[in-house]
Amino acid sequence: MEGKDLICIMCPVGCHLNVDKDGQISGNKCKRGLIYGLEEIKSPKRMLTSTVKTNFIDMPRLPVKTSSPIPKALIFKAMEKLNDIIIKNNVKIGDIIIENICDTHVDVIATRSYRP
Amino acid sequence: MKRYDLCIIGGGAAGLSAALAAYDDQLDIIIIERENQLGGILNQCIHNGFGLHVFKEELTGPEYAQKLIKLIYEKKINFLLDTTVLDIEKTNDFKITISNIKDGEYDIHSKSVILTTGCYERTRGHISIPGDRPKGIMTAGSAQRYLNMDGYLVGKSIFILGSGDIGLIMARRMTLEGAKVHGVAEIMPYSNGLTRNVVQCLNDFDIPLYLSHTVVDIKGKTQLEEITIQEIDEHKNFIHGTQKTFKVDTLLLSVGLIPDVKLFDHLSIDLDIHTKSAVVDQNLETSVTGLFLCGNALHVHDLVDDVTIESQKAGKFARTFIHQNQSEQKILKEILIDEHIQHIIPQVINFSNVVDPIELSFRTLKKYEKVNVTITQNNQLIKTKILTYVTPAEMQKVSIKASDLISKNPLYVNLEEV
Amino acid sequence: MYDYTIIGAGIIGSLIARNLSKYDIKVCVLEKENDVANVQTRANSAIVHSGHDPKHDTLKAKLSVLGNALYDDLEKELNISLLRSGAFVCAHDKTEEKILDDLYQNATLNHVKHMEFLTYDQAKILEPNISPSVTKVLSLPTTKVCFPWEVAFFALENAINNGVELRRNALVTSITKHDFGYEIKTANNEIIQTKHVINASGVYADDIAKMIHPTIDFKITPRKGEYFVLDKSVKGFIHHVLYPLPTSKGKGVLITPQVHGNILLGPTSEFINDKDDISTSTSGLSYIKEHANSLAKDIPYHLIIRSFAGVRSSSTYDDFYIKEDTLNKGFYQVAGIDSPGITSAPAISNYLVDEIIKIDLPIKKTYNPILKKKVVFKDLPKKEKAIKQTENPLYGRIICKCEHITEQEIVDAIKGPLGSQTIKGIKKRARAGSGLCQGGYCESLVLKIISRETHTPLSKVNYDQLDTPILCEETKVKL
Repeated sequence: MEGKDLICIMCPVGCHLNVDKDGQISGNKCKRGLIYGLEEIKSPKRMLTSTVKTNFIDMPRLPVKTSSPIPKALIFKAMEKLNDIIIKNNVKIGDIIIENICDTHVDVIATRSYRP
Repeated sequence: MKRYDLCIIGGGAAGLSAALAAYDDQLDIIIIERENQLGGILNQCIHNGFGLHVFKEELTGPEYAQKLIKLIYEKKINFLLDTTVLDIEKTNDFKITISNIKDGEYDIHSKSVILTTGCYERTRGHISIPGDRPKGIMTAGSAQRYLNMDGYLVGKSIFILGSGDIGLIMARRMTLEGAKVHGVAEIMPYSNGLTRNVVQCLNDFDIPLYLSHTVVDIKGKTQLEEITIQEIDEHKNFIHGTQKTFKVDTLLLSVGLIPDVKLFDHLSIDLDIHTKSAVVDQNLETSVTGLFLCGNALHVHDLVDDVTIESQKAGKFARTFIHQNQSEQKILKEILIDEHIQHIIPQVINFSNVVDPIELSFRTLKKYEKVNVTITQNNQLIKTKILTYVTPAEMQKVSIKASDLISKNPLYVNLEEV
Repeated sequence: MYDYTIIGAGIIGSLIARNLSKYDIKVCVLEKENDVANVQTRANSAIVHSGHDPKHDTLKAKLSVLGNALYDDLEKELNISLLRSGAFVCAHDKTEEKILDDLYQNATLNHVKHMEFLTYDQAKILEPNISPSVTKVLSLPTTKVCFPWEVAFFALENAINNGVELRRNALVTSITKHDFGYEIKTANNEIIQTKHVINASGVYADDIAKMIHPTIDFKITPRKGEYFVLDKSVKGFIHHVLYPLPTSKGKGVLITPQVHGNILLGPTSEFINDKDDISTSTSGLSYIKEHANSLAKDIPYHLIIRSFAGVRSSSTYDDFYIKEDTLNKGFYQVAGIDSPGITSAPAISNYLVDEIIKIDLPIKKTYNPILKKKVVFKDLPKKEKAIKQTENPLYGRIICKCEHITEQEIVDAIKGPLGSQTIKGIKKRARAGSGLCQGGYCESLVLKIISRETHTPLSKVNYDQLDTPILCEETKVKL
């Protein structure tokens, strides 16, 4: 593995971290940076927020989010799955739209209700 | 002729938060909202990052809005949707001219008003970007609305000017929905947005960030075809030979928000040229007695949580004002700032109504690693605070207690780099 | 077979069309753009000059003074907006004051009325923000300001009501001479046969003329002018049109109050090669700021909401070129109409029809010169608003919150013989998007109204020209 530079996003300082070819982290000013750096190298995860299509004329798109972060590498695949959805029935905030998206054990949930 | 105790103009985060804080079962409150739903800009901000302070959880914009809207319904606070406020006039009370399809144009009266009309986005025309004027140049917020609410991409090949959070968020959003974002240009030598957004919105997608660059030319007869950016030096002069051209069909602009205070047109009200909005005291009351101002219409906020906290104050003081039922003599003195500070809220202190704590919010003009904020009155130091990692992109806050004040004289706020 | 075909639906072509619609003849107007008044008429200072400046004894001098007076008739008949601002020509030193005197002499010969000289102190009472560097002023009270594309729209709509046909997106690609007159082919494959042709095609007048007269004796030398627009919250900053002394480049950088309260700064004056080049430039915009400062002090530049540029059809012929073609009878050239083109427009129309074409027909009984006043809802008295809103509830929904434009006004701008289905076209007609936020709020609403009223999918609603949809593609739709 080659050395990699990254910016920690755990607090406003934004330490510039470096991970060398042996996986050692440097540049962090605190322990949280260490944890972030390790996970970011091993298996970076991201929250995905997007919309899904609906049949509602007055609300053509419903905003959704993953209930927790999913592997960064699966983001575009997850987007493709979201693009297949069409919401036809009334939906409430928190409803599961897709269960266990891309085998991540994470659900995609609605972030607003539709009240016709 | 309908008469209210409190009229709140704008049903977004600020208006809803102010209404909830003002509420008691004796007050007749009305929120007037021009869209066909409450929530304001939160409805199109489908991304994460809201609510950490106010609700102690990380929420998306619509979820944050829903928490406030649920409380509005629970408290049975009245609101009018699809209704636009055209004018405000003040005589003994406030005459507010509104219009909607159902009842046409008519006036309502209110003892007190809280203006929570938010901001509008600066456009290409406001900053005079030269070049052709084809279709394809749009503000980032407009593109966000078309994408998240209506479900349309405004282009497939994008360049973004401005690295504030809205520009960064849209870089990611457009990419996720299938567009190619060729880059983000930022006129300052540092990004205006949260570092986490630079990482999650640009680095994650290998979208280049061109700091100290701005758009210098736009080409396209009827449809945008190409934009050119160029680097500027520390004296804001263009550096020869640093032009970079991108073939794109869309230029999104994230070049600043301006408080929407058009409704001040027929009021005699003190304005602050720095904020382009009104002067307020520590209770968020303007120079027009009974008219309060909070949220982005007062000054642009970074976090909606701050909007809620500020608007709760305005709501609370509006309620006190209404119940007092008399206008007292105000003792107003300025809060003066030094050359390091862009603007400060409040701009004046009303010494006849000091309620703990007095919260000062300000932005600096430059970045500092460590500064000492000193507040003096009568040439005496009454408060000092160390702030670290200070940037113009992040609003700074300092509190003073009523007991810190030693007289009814102006305050001076100074910054010193440490 | 048409009796007359007019090429170009700018202010000139529109007023000519209206003039011809008086007679029992078949008239057609061909416009290359997707909307009328979309090129020169859309980008100028909007001033109806007094006629002080063109050299005495030229057509420009004669027709601008006549045209200025005719605007009063247009106001009565077509209900156009007209701001009677007056103007000050400003001198800054003794040399300029001498030129001011010469200008006064020229204007007197041109029969400009009511002029007077003012000292700086006298001018300052009437115009408090005039620059303190001004020493002497020539006041021209007959100067007015119009809303140029509105003049074109109303004239053309009146013409259409009186029987004239309009074809948009009809770029002329060839003209051939025949026994009956002329055959015109357009880019959208239309063939128009006509007895007479009137070439009022603006910056392309020489290209059109060359189609039947390759050695025509004028050439259009396009000249670009850049402008700034200040938001109408500056209303009252200045009341008069402020001119510097004219030079060979033209009238110079002016400060012009507009009909709706805005102020225009500009134009620059630069000869260009590309007739379609309406780009703005950093140097052009700096030039304006530099020169405007010599006319007024404390100009509120922070209230700039837009900048734009237009091209004037200056020509190698030193005056308006309004003639029957020397080689082709029945083909009329109305070319080289740069400043004072807007001012002279109604007089150009009369001059062409009465003195060049010399139409000798009775006015048809059905001719109606009056165009009913359009509803500008925010300007109506309260009682009238209430009546109208009961009849048409859409007057109750505000679409453009900066300018207080209602949904009904947008709907009206879409419908009708001169309606528009584009964002830009609605902006020109109903003014939605002209205000402080420049359409940031209302564009998406206007887009949806256009879609609804014209049964067009959202993704096909255009910005201005054909094929300029605001929305690129719908997401999450399987192709």
